[in-house]
Amino acid sequence: MRPDRKIMKTDKKRLAMLIDLRKCIGCNTCAVACKAENNVPLSVWRSWVKRVEKGTYPHAREYFLPIVCNNCEKPICVTVCPVKASIQRPDGIVYVDPHRCIGCRYCMASCPYGVRHINPVTKIVEKCFWCHHRVDAGLEPACVLACPTGAILFGDSSDPESEIAKALAGNAVQVIKAELGTHPQAFYIGLDQEVVDTKELE
Amino acid sequence: MVDGQILYNVTQQEAFGIFIAVYFYLTGLSAGSFILSTLAYGFGMEKYKSLGKVGVILATVLLIIAPLFLLLHIGVPHRAWHLFVYLNFESPITWGSFLLILYPINCIVYGYFMFKEQRKTARLFGLIGIPLAVSVHGYTGFILAFGKARALWNTALMPILFLVSAIVSGIALMILVCIIKDRFFSRQKKLDYPLLENLGKMLAWIIVFDLFLVLCDILVLLISHSDAQAAAHLLLSGKFFPLFLIVENLLGKIVPFVLLSVPRFRNLATMIIASLLVIIGIFFMRYVVVIGGEFIPLI
Repeated sequence: MRPDRKIMKTDKKRLAMLIDLRKCIGCNTCAVACKAENNVPLSVWRSWVKRVEKGTYPHAREYFLPIVCNNCEKPICVTVCPVKASIQRPDGIVYVDPHRCIGCRYCMASCPYGVRHINPVTKIVEKCFWCHHRVDAGLEPACVLACPTGAILFGDSSDPESEIAKALAGNAVQVIKAELGTHPQAFYIGLDQEVVDTKELE
Repeated sequence: MVDGQILYNVTQQEAFGIFIAVYFYLTGLSAGSFILSTLAYGFGMEKYKSLGKVGVILATVLLIIAPLFLLLHIGVPHRAWHLFVYLNFESPITWGSFLLILYPINCIVYGYFMFKEQRKTARLFGLIGIPLAVSVHGYTGFILAFGKARALWNTALMPILFLVSAIVSGIALMILVCIIKDRFFSRQKKLDYPLLENLGKMLAWIIVFDLFLVLCDILVLLISHSDAQAAAHLLLSGKFFPLFLIVENLLGKIVPFVLLSVPRFRNLATMIIASLLVIIGIFFMRYVVVIGGEFIPLI
């Protein structure tokens, strides 16, 4: 059993996302759909597509890495939030209670994936929560629905008959920064560690 | 070796900025001053008696100013009461909410009995205050150590490193305040030179311990995982090298140590210079840890 899925309980619903990078064409539709669905202000993004170029012509390639909140199984942001405004739902989604958050930014400081931001208008912390309002209504998250190549799969990974559980079982999947023990639940197919590690210094 | 080149990425906002660095700095000064004030009134070392009242006043005033920087930092200050209602005991900030209430109250009670010359009661509150002072600064180290994302913060050394630098800055501040107080505000206008010399020696040796801790931290970062190595290189040869190596460690620790420990250099002027350098150096220590810690992008 893979360490990232070991702590999942089979009797419990556990939502997960699987992004097939072989299908991703870097069109940014997911990022735009996310902005529109969640009314995300200018200058901040809840999800985005990191683009990295490797090699030199003619042996060059551009890589796309869609970033969403990993909705970790062991989320450090929930551990450190001093007012319990970061909450993990039983189905695994981690969200911020906008009425409770005081904007101390401790979660932003501790999240290894940098997916949290301060809303420039309300000054509270916001993040991707896999569109839980849509999920609760039986719909897919906006990015999943918008993806023109169907690269993103979303569902209950604890149900062995679900499409995502079969895909997770039948493919070599990776997560970002598995070594931190946060047990991310956004899985990737074809994740290149170099693309994750490439960073630009300001 | 990564040869990729970023074409597009979203950069993270700054989480802990300058206000948090200032807050850490002020709580450090406060905790250091408090511990010095208990040398006489808690542990009965009579030669440090004149530090008692100055120490407790400084500790109280600094710790009343410090949380104001937290209010400046947080996005929704009028919700600060949430910290006392919605508790998460896994979070160091929740520990701090209570420490920041208990510690100043204890300081005030301790100071009250000290000024009333009720030595026995003052001693009791002085001794209660020591674990509080240690916690109030130690917990700030835990805040950073729980910041799992950042290799520079996520080390078990952080709380002790913060405590030792707090005591260093506290002693330096006390030397300066004692000189000002004796020179301008006392009846005799006469400096207590043996006391200052004692404090100077104490400062010099605690600086050595602080340098040792910094060395431990950097050496382990240098051979640890890749993020840790990147953090170490940022401090040793990257953008933070002037602040870290020159301001914090050379001017803020090594130069004061030489001035204070070599008997030939030790006089009133060098003691003032050394204390000023230490106070500035520790500020930049907080700055480098907080701002430098989140300098490297995460993704």
